[in-house]
Amino acid sequence: MSAPATTAVTADHGHDESKFHIYVQIAMLLAVITGVEIIAVYLPFPKWTIVTALVTLSTVKFMFVIFYFMHLRWDKPFCTILFFIGLILAGGTMWALLQLFSAEAALPLPT
Amino acid sequence: MDDALHKSGFLPKEEKAPAKTFVIWRPTAQTGLMSWLTTVDHKKIGFLYGFFALIFFLVGGFEALLIRTQLMFPNNTVLTAQQYNRMFTMHGTTMIFLAVMPLGAAFFNIIMPLQIGARDVAFPRLNAFSLWTFCAGAIILNIGWFLPALHYGPPDAGWFGYSPLTSKTFTPSHATDFWILGLQLLGVASIAAALNFIVTIINMRAPGLTMMRLPVFVWMTLVTSFLIILSFPAITIALVEVMMDRNFSTNFFEVSGGGMPILWQHLFWIFGHPEVYILILPAMGIVSEILPCFARKPLYGYPIVVFSGACIGFLGFAVWSHHMFTTGMGAVATAAFSLATMCIAVPTGVKIFNWIGTLWGGHLQMRTPMMFALGFIWMFMIGGFSGIMHSAAPADAQQQDSYFVVAHFHYVLIGGSIFALLGGIHYWFPLIFGRKVSEFWGKLSFWLIFVGFNVTFFPQHFLGLNGMPRRTFTYDANMGWSTGNFVSTMGSYLLGLGIVTYFAVVLYTYFKGERVGRDVWDGRTLEWSIPNPPPEYNFRVIPTVHARDAWWYEKHHQEEIAKEKAALEKAEAAHGGIHMPFQSIYPFVASCGILVAAFGVTAVDADWEHPGIHLKLGLTLVGGAIMLAGIYLWALEGAEGYHLHPEGDDHGHDSPAEKH
Amino acid sequence: MGTTRPPRNTEPPPFASHLSPFLLMTSHAATIDHHHDPSTSTGIPNKKLLMWAFLASDCMFFGTLISTHLIYRLHPPAGGKVPTQVFDIQLTSFSTFILLMSSLMMALAVNAIQKGNVKSCRWSLLTTIFFGTIFLGCQVFEFNNFVYEHDMTISNSLLGTTFFTLTGTHGCHVAIGVLWLGLMYVRSFKLAHGPGGAGAWMKNLLHLVALFGGIVLTTKVVLGLVWSLQDFQGHSMATFASREFLSIAGALVALGGMFWFARPAGEVEFNEKHAIDVESMGLYWHFVDIVWIVIFTAVYLLEYL
Repeated sequence: MSAPATTAVTADHGHDESKFHIYVQIAMLLAVITGVEIIAVYLPFPKWTIVTALVTLSTVKFMFVIFYFMHLRWDKPFCTILFFIGLILAGGTMWALLQLFSAEAALPLPT
Repeated sequence: MDDALHKSGFLPKEEKAPAKTFVIWRPTAQTGLMSWLTTVDHKKIGFLYGFFALIFFLVGGFEALLIRTQLMFPNNTVLTAQQYNRMFTMHGTTMIFLAVMPLGAAFFNIIMPLQIGARDVAFPRLNAFSLWTFCAGAIILNIGWFLPALHYGPPDAGWFGYSPLTSKTFTPSHATDFWILGLQLLGVASIAAALNFIVTIINMRAPGLTMMRLPVFVWMTLVTSFLIILSFPAITIALVEVMMDRNFSTNFFEVSGGGMPILWQHLFWIFGHPEVYILILPAMGIVSEILPCFARKPLYGYPIVVFSGACIGFLGFAVWSHHMFTTGMGAVATAAFSLATMCIAVPTGVKIFNWIGTLWGGHLQMRTPMMFALGFIWMFMIGGFSGIMHSAAPADAQQQDSYFVVAHFHYVLIGGSIFALLGGIHYWFPLIFGRKVSEFWGKLSFWLIFVGFNVTFFPQHFLGLNGMPRRTFTYDANMGWSTGNFVSTMGSYLLGLGIVTYFAVVLYTYFKGERVGRDVWDGRTLEWSIPNPPPEYNFRVIPTVHARDAWWYEKHHQEEIAKEKAALEKAEAAHGGIHMPFQSIYPFVASCGILVAAFGVTAVDADWEHPGIHLKLGLTLVGGAIMLAGIYLWALEGAEGYHLHPEGDDHGHDSPAEKH
Repeated sequence: MGTTRPPRNTEPPPFASHLSPFLLMTSHAATIDHHHDPSTSTGIPNKKLLMWAFLASDCMFFGTLISTHLIYRLHPPAGGKVPTQVFDIQLTSFSTFILLMSSLMMALAVNAIQKGNVKSCRWSLLTTIFFGTIFLGCQVFEFNNFVYEHDMTISNSLLGTTFFTLTGTHGCHVAIGVLWLGLMYVRSFKLAHGPGGAGAWMKNLLHLVALFGGIVLTTKVVLGLVWSLQDFQGHSMATFASREFLSIAGALVALGGMFWFARPAGEVEFNEKHAIDVESMGLYWHFVDIVWIVIFTAVYLLEYL
């Protein structure tokens, strides 16, 4: 059967061969970062530095998984846009809720 | 009914191809109940959504008339306080979730694929699943009417189910459980349908149909679908939390356990506000289709109208606490949400100016759909004005929970959403059913509705400003509200008459109305390019789009288009013909399983010591098993189909297609 | 309104490429480009787009659930459970690591089937299931530990309510993933040229029973073993064998069944064309992993500061 599909094949096979190694390396990196996070909580630094470090490290893990394991780096940009719409909206809503409940007016009245 | 449908030409006349044999039977019914239960055709599914929506619209309307009758006189005794609670709860829930949303879904299903030149949606069986799960949700919500009121009964805690009223302490009956699970099922159905529409619009457009050439209705379908998939999770979680509080003694909203009932309000309105945009954006899309057609001009400022629609949608996520101005959030939060709410008026106003721009200098044809569209602009504006008044938090402090709010949202929901949807039915009726509603009767029903609606709700602005609270089953004669309520009730009877007239007219037209040929309004968009009623495969040849208002371009470049179509038709035939998906029973089976499980969870009385726990667990597990079996077989049967070779030409002479 | 702009991109896409995607799934000797589906307007396969849209929705789902938990951690009620006294950070770290490894296995499974390597895909799917099951087993262990050793139930404390609901929901997502993976694994054995019909269907069902029976029973036995070693709830090593005899026997039978059904029986109808299904599955599984990344930090680690 005629195959119009093949006219659009953009052979990107070059990187396919080495994807196995990329995946394994990233997995090792993720494991190491997780280890660092666990150790970090016991380190004697001020709380805000640890929190920032934890959030940053988690974000790094997050980004590696979505861009590499979930393939966003090599896919059409629309997939990334679609996911980030949900992600940013969820993050924004979470931030707003936490602000609302941290406000002084939201504190339970002293009993 | 089915016979009349068949005669009306809405059902396909072609013989189905013989089904591939499979372990489990593969349905091929063309007529009868089975053909409806196993359909995957977006037009039939859309018709069913519309059919159920209109039935529930009447149910919700009846509930409203009971409310208005109770409020006609002070200290009236038509309804007890308990019955009144059920009425306003079910009126709101029914109208929002079982009338307006599915009516919107009906248009998304029938019209959107036609407007993008597609043969169906991206996942036809998932589409059917959404429909049947919607039915399951509707059943669970309303089943309380048929069960003994003391222990069961229909939901009665308001359409927004505030905590702690919905806790087991204050509403111990199953009514609240029905409400919770009913909404959960509707949420599942809505999210599945919205995902389907997003993939369809993004991925299944005809060649040459870039995003900025899409009809505005398709854009609004897309934005609404995004709103659905992003807002429903919030209410899903909120409902899970309240259900766990009721059934597993958790502490989400339980003050004695450290919970905060205000959290429910936040989570609910994080969903609830985008929900109202879900209700209005499809209507705005329909109006954006009707106005250009009957003003004989393209839509003014298309890119801005699209962009504004998207802005309204996404800004809608940032304003939820304007429903909570009087809950004591603190000055900063209140001010922030007040400002954000005012911002939404901007894109809304922009759209209104663009619609006026569309009308300006046009050759206006005052047909029935146009009346509804013009009515929409004016009524929605009035609703918008009262909305802006709400956005000022200090003013809202008086208006909150008063009839001023009731007036506001009925102006935007009836004057806005319903007007546009009713107008859309008139507008697309000739396409879907091949018959046109008589101008006289159509306009009569419009005017009855228009006048009745305004007489009902305009006085309610004043009732609200004079302090009449919502959700109270009666009032004293010396409050100064008696005249306003009486007039409002009279208006509601007129509105009821108008709605009944509308329904009677549409029903009559369906069976005996004037038959019309194709493209009766001389339209601009692709859905008018196909036979009416549409054949199962929609387009003989997938159109190639060259400009916005694709059908208008086709009509004015006929030679070029004819050549193009001839070439494409040859190509399609060479590839084996038009591919159509097989029907399937499994979406229906899966939904049945969900219904049984939901019934088990909500209707059976049990806690862990009660003997009924076995029935409860049993029903739930059986339902779950049926659902899993349905999904498993759905996956197993695969997404295969058959091929069609339509005979004859594409100019109004349809012959049965040849199958293989 | 009056200005006519030069038409942009009115060139129709490659000839007849808008034809139904079903048509193009028929015989293709040429290599499939897993990054581009020419039958769709964007080139993104429909199933992939569906899954990404669903994941965007799921972000909001978990976002509100995590928000609920964090809100209730802002001003914890006096006398409530203290997380650092209840949590076992070593166990959770272990299960986090396990889930990360399962994510790697999933990516390798997708990679394998995109190259048409069915055997490698199957092994990777099985390992993903294996790691996923370990994660779930750890959760069951953790939940039991909290309930019985620390007297923190879903109803007797606010922390219990939010914690169990949040991690329980995540666990349900993992379980659904394991179910899906299992179905995918068994599906990969469908014969291309078999008699079909009821026989093939029965084989499919029995294979599923063997797989899931094996998973459930093995997990039960291992958990039972761990609890017996710890003398948890009065269960000692001495009574382990008699208590778990049926489960052990059942697990062995199920595992045997798995080996039986995995014997090579001819060409299977599972190749590069089905990579999109495994890829969609993969997206879901990775998403569940990234949600856990957020939960591990926000629910566990931040409490230790």
